[in-house]
Amino acid sequence: MTKRGDCRGNGSKISWTQVETGSAITWKYPSCILRGDNSQGEFYSIAISNGYQQVDSGTKMIHLGKNTSSRIISKGIAAGVSQNTYRGQVSAHRKATNARNFTNCDSLLIGDKCGAHTTPYIEAKNSSAVFEHEATTSKISDDMLFYCRQRGLDAEEAVALVVNGFVKDVLQHLPMEFAVEAQKLIAISLEGSVG
Amino acid sequence: MALLEVKDLHARVEEKEILRGLNLTINPGEVHAIMGPNGSGKSTLSYVLAGKDDYEVTGGSATLEGEDLLELEPDERAAKGLFLAFQYPIEIPGVASMTFLRTAVNAVRKKRGEEELSTPDFLRLVREKAKELSINQDMLKRPVNVGFSGGEKKRNEILQMAMLEPKMCVLDETDSGLDIDALKIVADGVNRLRAKNRGFLVITHYQRLLDHIVPDVVHVMAKGRIVRTGGPELAHELEAKGYAGYENAA
Repeated sequence: MTKRGDCRGNGSKISWTQVETGSAITWKYPSCILRGDNSQGEFYSIAISNGYQQVDSGTKMIHLGKNTSSRIISKGIAAGVSQNTYRGQVSAHRKATNARNFTNCDSLLIGDKCGAHTTPYIEAKNSSAVFEHEATTSKISDDMLFYCRQRGLDAEEAVALVVNGFVKDVLQHLPMEFAVEAQKLIAISLEGSVG
Repeated sequence: MALLEVKDLHARVEEKEILRGLNLTINPGEVHAIMGPNGSGKSTLSYVLAGKDDYEVTGGSATLEGEDLLELEPDERAAKGLFLAFQYPIEIPGVASMTFLRTAVNAVRKKRGEEELSTPDFLRLVREKAKELSINQDMLKRPVNVGFSGGEKKRNEILQMAMLEPKMCVLDETDSGLDIDALKIVADGVNRLRAKNRGFLVITHYQRLLDHIVPDVVHVMAKGRIVRTGGPELAHELEAKGYAGYENAA
């Protein structure tokens, strides 16, 4: 599934937000074409995979106009024996002077049988482009879960709490009602992922 | 009935036997201190009581108010009233301390068959307890233990202890990494929680903490056992003479 947004006007802006709990196999890349000068694109994503799911999701930011900027914050959570991939393209056209992108891509592993992958495609045809890419991968540690459980949370509550902390940067960008739903969705998606 | 009763407890971590027949009885209202050299098994005892994975009990028993602790999950032990103040409190990025406290308090209350605290009641309680420990509201908004100083981490542990209203509190080297002022704040926090239905087990290397939290009973632990038990004066003796005589006695 791929949606594309086209920022045509001067200073126009498109912001994508997704909370992806997905089907068995998910390919999904909501994208922005930054055609207008000074236009902005944003992509905030939480992608959770559990069981045998395979998620391959991300975005495309295509910088065509002048002084365009884009921002990508992606949080991937893999549990069970699932595979979770972030795949994103950031490109600057020849005429796209002063294109800017910041990408932050964090992955969280639950258990030792799942995988998280990050595949950025970065292409700058204009030498004034400034593209940044940050990525981290971490694992929910047993120490963290034990600490939560010593305070009275059961195993699933502990995982949900830690994961909600992990995705906080993205949850902040959701409308309040949706953020509350999303938190619950995360807890449900991860049921049975530990212990 | 004894609050905490540990009998002939044996436990190991990865094939290495660390607790080797430990006996300990703590009655309600008592404060016990365990002192001992590095590697004597003090922290292991606290982890075994709290139910950490990787710590395998190979013999003996541990009961809280007559109920077998070793059969319970860590969160069930917490709900029964066992609290462990960690030597190295764990960081949880992105989770505000306030959120963590609230989740913990409600989880414990639910398991104890009590109603969840309403938001105003909860906030009032947190403010009151936090103030006693010189914890400002700003600290409660920060993620749990992330970027906290040593003193802040330990004060946060005591705040959690105060909020969860445990029966049996185990403090694992709560004095480590504290300067004198922070030590006093933490000790005062613990002393305020002393009550006739609550027991404390204070694990420490130094007598310094015990000047502030005066114990009823002091134990010396060496090589996985308690090798000597006495009153508060025993801590002073250890401070003067060291543990040298006990390494061999075990």
